[in-house]
Amino acid sequence: MSNNMAKIADARKTVEQLKLEVNIERMMVSKAAADLMAFCEAHAKEDPLVTPVPSSENPFREKKFFCAIL
Amino acid sequence: MRFSMNPEMATQEVQPSETLSNLKAESDSLKTKLEDERAKLHDVELHQVAEKVDGLGQFIMKTRRTLKGHGNKVLCMDWCKDKRRIVSSSQDGKVIVWDAFTTNKEHAVTMPCTWVMACAYAPSGCAVACGGLDNKCSVYPLSLDKNENLAAKKKSVAMHTNYLSACSFTNSDMQILTSSGDGTCALWDVESGQLLQSFHGHAADVLCLDLAPSETGNTFVSGGCDKKANVWDMRSGQCIQSFETHESDINSVRYYPSGDAFASGSDDATCRLYDLRADREVAIYSKESIIFGASSVDFSLSGRLLFGGYNDYTINVWDVLKGTRVSILFGHENRVSTLRVSPDGTAFCSGSWDHTLRIWA
Repeated sequence: MSNNMAKIADARKTVEQLKLEVNIERMMVSKAAADLMAFCEAHAKEDPLVTPVPSSENPFREKKFFCAIL
Repeated sequence: MRFSMNPEMATQEVQPSETLSNLKAESDSLKTKLEDERAKLHDVELHQVAEKVDGLGQFIMKTRRTLKGHGNKVLCMDWCKDKRRIVSSSQDGKVIVWDAFTTNKEHAVTMPCTWVMACAYAPSGCAVACGGLDNKCSVYPLSLDKNENLAAKKKSVAMHTNYLSACSFTNSDMQILTSSGDGTCALWDVESGQLLQSFHGHAADVLCLDLAPSETGNTFVSGGCDKKANVWDMRSGQCIQSFETHESDINSVRYYPSGDAFASGSDDATCRLYDLRADREVAIYSKESIIFGASSVDFSLSGRLLFGGYNDYTINVWDVLKGTRVSILFGHENRVSTLRVSPDGTAFCSGSWDHTLRIWA
């Protein structure tokens, strides 16, 4: 009996959770996609992997090697 | 009345199995409604909208540093905010802090367990958190004194009932978010070890998590073996949105830099992009030739590129908007298990079952 009650409690929780998820506000994919694109374009210049910076400014691409003085 | 009016008792008298099947029918119809509501907004594909965007230029990235020192599979890594230090953890129980510029090891700790599947750098750079098969997340303050025994200062913070799969500090050193094979995520106070909030909803092991960028507020996303990616409200513990389009375990989740979307990598050999405001999957990054699971994903700074580490030893670089593959990077000699872009976006680090970490730029 109590196992069944536990299942019912779980099923109720699932129903409540789904009701919450169904009722959220959503926007059209076209608008959401446009916003994603706008963000990419706005930040493209600051992204060193999209807009390459000169090797001297990328610490990993520099030819210098570091030595630790022991 | 001999019995107090208790809804549970009333149900017992009716027919419990009938009520259960009613609830099941209701949940099925709600699931259909959810799909219908989501489909109504699906007016266009992301890659169609992105047709007018310029293609990316020639893409050249190479291994610039190789970090050698782990004695077994590297399972996890994280960058320090100083953009040069890295913490990594391995199957042999070792957690190492490296200077990625010089490849020098700065600290090393041996955990009391093997398979340290999770590690994270504290925002201050003064501590690291790690855990795995010990079911715990422990925090080690990093000492400037190289001779000091780090293990002595260890603080146990989180306790789960199964392995720790991922951990992350929130925006301060004071709180840690964890995910576990026990199917839950949890938020902990580091100082007291107190559980602040727990997150229940996954039906199987939770494998990964990522916190929303701080500007977007208090949410995080988790992915699990139940093929679901869940978005949670950190304060209430409530699951706000749930996405179930992957066909297998979700190994990695990462927010898009604006916080409006997140990417996932899965054993079904695909990476996918989910937009939170459209409440649906908006892109799939896959190719017929890619048949091995994606273990780890991360975005470049602008969100234009998605790097995916795969179980076939390669790293695929995707154009997030157009949905096409920009490049494939070879170098590791075994599965890529972990991948993170550096805080300033100049490079990314990958860790592998081949015992090494590589810095690519």
